[in-house]
Amino acid sequence: MKKKFDLSSLMRSKLTWAVVAEALILLVCLLVRPDFFKISYQPSTGMLYGNLIDIVNRSSEITIIAMGMTMVIALGGTDLSVGALVAVAGAIALKFMRWDVTVYNTPGDYSVYPFFLAILVPLVVCILMGLFNGLLIAKGDMQPIIATLILMVCGRGIAQIVTNGKQFTTGYSPFRVIGQGSFLFLPMPIIITIIVILCVSLFVRKTAFGTFVEAVGINRSAARLSGINAQMVIFIVFAITGFLSGISGLIYSSRIMSNDSNNAGLNYEMDAILAVVIGGTSMTGGKFSLAGTVLGSIIIRTIVTLVYYFGIASEATMAFKAIIIAVVIVLQSEPVREHFAKRTRSRSQFARGGALK
Amino acid sequence: MSGKNELSSRQSLFSRLTNPKYVMVYATIGIFLVIYLFGVIAYGNQGFTTLRTFMNMFIDNAYYGISAVGMTMVLITGGIDLSVGAVASLTGMFIAYGTSVLGVHPLVCILFSLVVGIGLGLLMGWVIHYLNVPPFITTLTGMFLARGVCSLISRESIEIKHPMMDALAGWKIYFMTLKDGEWVRIRPSAFINFNVILFVVMIVIGTIILQKTRFGRNIYAVGGNEQSAKLMGLPVGRTKVLVYGFNGLCSVLAGVAYALYVKSGWNLSLQGAELDVITCAVIGGTLLTGGVGYMVGTLFGVLLKSIIPALITFNGNLLSWWGKIATGLLLLLFICIQKVVIGSTSKKSKKK
Repeated sequence: MKKKFDLSSLMRSKLTWAVVAEALILLVCLLVRPDFFKISYQPSTGMLYGNLIDIVNRSSEITIIAMGMTMVIALGGTDLSVGALVAVAGAIALKFMRWDVTVYNTPGDYSVYPFFLAILVPLVVCILMGLFNGLLIAKGDMQPIIATLILMVCGRGIAQIVTNGKQFTTGYSPFRVIGQGSFLFLPMPIIITIIVILCVSLFVRKTAFGTFVEAVGINRSAARLSGINAQMVIFIVFAITGFLSGISGLIYSSRIMSNDSNNAGLNYEMDAILAVVIGGTSMTGGKFSLAGTVLGSIIIRTIVTLVYYFGIASEATMAFKAIIIAVVIVLQSEPVREHFAKRTRSRSQFARGGALK
Repeated sequence: MSGKNELSSRQSLFSRLTNPKYVMVYATIGIFLVIYLFGVIAYGNQGFTTLRTFMNMFIDNAYYGISAVGMTMVLITGGIDLSVGAVASLTGMFIAYGTSVLGVHPLVCILFSLVVGIGLGLLMGWVIHYLNVPPFITTLTGMFLARGVCSLISRESIEIKHPMMDALAGWKIYFMTLKDGEWVRIRPSAFINFNVILFVVMIVIGTIILQKTRFGRNIYAVGGNEQSAKLMGLPVGRTKVLVYGFNGLCSVLAGVAYALYVKSGWNLSLQGAELDVITCAVIGGTLLTGGVGYMVGTLFGVLLKSIIPALITFNGNLLSWWGKIATGLLLLLFICIQKVVIGSTSKKSKKK
């Protein structure tokens, strides 16, 4: 089936505006720094270096979470607990590797418990926490934003209690690989992100699950009446989001080789939701676009990189993020898109000599 | 409308107070009393029963309470506002930078903050209603903007030094008692300050707006069912925009209260406060789906949230992190109660 090229539908597509926005930001980057797109190879680490690589690398935590968040939002909900889960995952992983810590000492290249436990336990805990969210929402019939607010408030407290309020550091080299290693010339987080994107897309698009999610998001009762186990769909989606937050938490703590229960994953829920919305998935639920989400996450990171170039304080990037996001969101908003679509339609009709409506 | 009002005024006070729509407010007050009683039994001999401890709960959380007044209204319309913490922080920055660096009178700074805060609120309300952008995203952008501007002003904490601000922050009314024909301060001394008065005044104003004005009724109508409100000919757009504007006002006042409380401005202050404020409102019985919520509930929501750290301080052995977990559990408890209450009332109405 070949789609007819139609400018008005293109103007109406949210993804188009996201691509345009990213292209514009990259263009500004190029104007500020002519060598922006340069990518170099460092033989000593076996990794490619460059701004583009860095943007994708640094966006990976948000991208991974946003994959799950896309489905949550497609269900018509939001998951506020992801940032706290990032902190929990990091805390548990470090606790397992540094169980012996009583006082601060220089971290060595060792792990108290086997490495697979330090990786597996945080992920399992995150899945359980995701299931807890799912339980409240599916069985308790609560609003997702409130149900996940509980773990958002509790989560950081739990992370602090796991580590007894301490910050552990580690020098364990297998753990370092997750956030700082490389594979096929690319930083490990990018590889993990690609695997996650592939797995989620395959699961969602090659099975009926994606359709189920959209159906539940559009009308839960109707979906249930047509034979979809809506509760199970909600459970699975929140479990996946918890799992992905756990992976993101491991990457984050591997980057800093430490746990940071206060700042790990801070505002990740906000960034992930923004990435999803910029990517064109509507907050009201229904249809979703995983490709858009990846793009949205990269847009957010590109803005941050661009602002660094102007030598502005890292906290102040938020203001610029806000302005660019505001523009994207206003352009994506229904009235504006309809307006543009109408104008293009009437213009093209005019060019074809058709009558104006 | 007027007929219903006549009917309700004819009802006795008792039957009005036992109206099932107040169940959530009573639940909040009840749980607060239970926890307070627990504190009295457990730590009564350590001074938990004193008026000072009770007033400290107001003093330490006045800025949350002021912000919660506006937030309650926003939540009743079915919206959400994530920008409150950042706007309050921005107000603190304006006051600190204005008085300490630029040498401007604090009143001018506060006035400027009011213009900015209310302006941002109205703008967000306009975007939410007329551009149909979800409130969550719009106010999140507002939060990023305000927080970013904070950091653009300064990344360092700035001390607020101005005679007027010092006087306002140090101004206290002590509770007095008659002893041997002379008025003396009660011991241990308990007092209220400007923040507490501002908090109580805002709660009263909020109650009056919600219960006694047409604007308040519009807020409930919009939150109950926006489509019906529109069909009834109510000014839905104006109501929503004004609610966000009012919330901007509350955020700025909360920022002023916070600035008086800590006497400094810092770009990262009050991070995550927006969710604490929402938690206060939800614990107070406000439904996030809109249409339900009372200021009295919010008042006790703030008190409930502030009694937990007080108890942890009195215990002395627990890590302060347990406070977060306790707050989360409290939230869970309240949502469960809400579910049960709503479930039972909807069943009743079905039976009718």
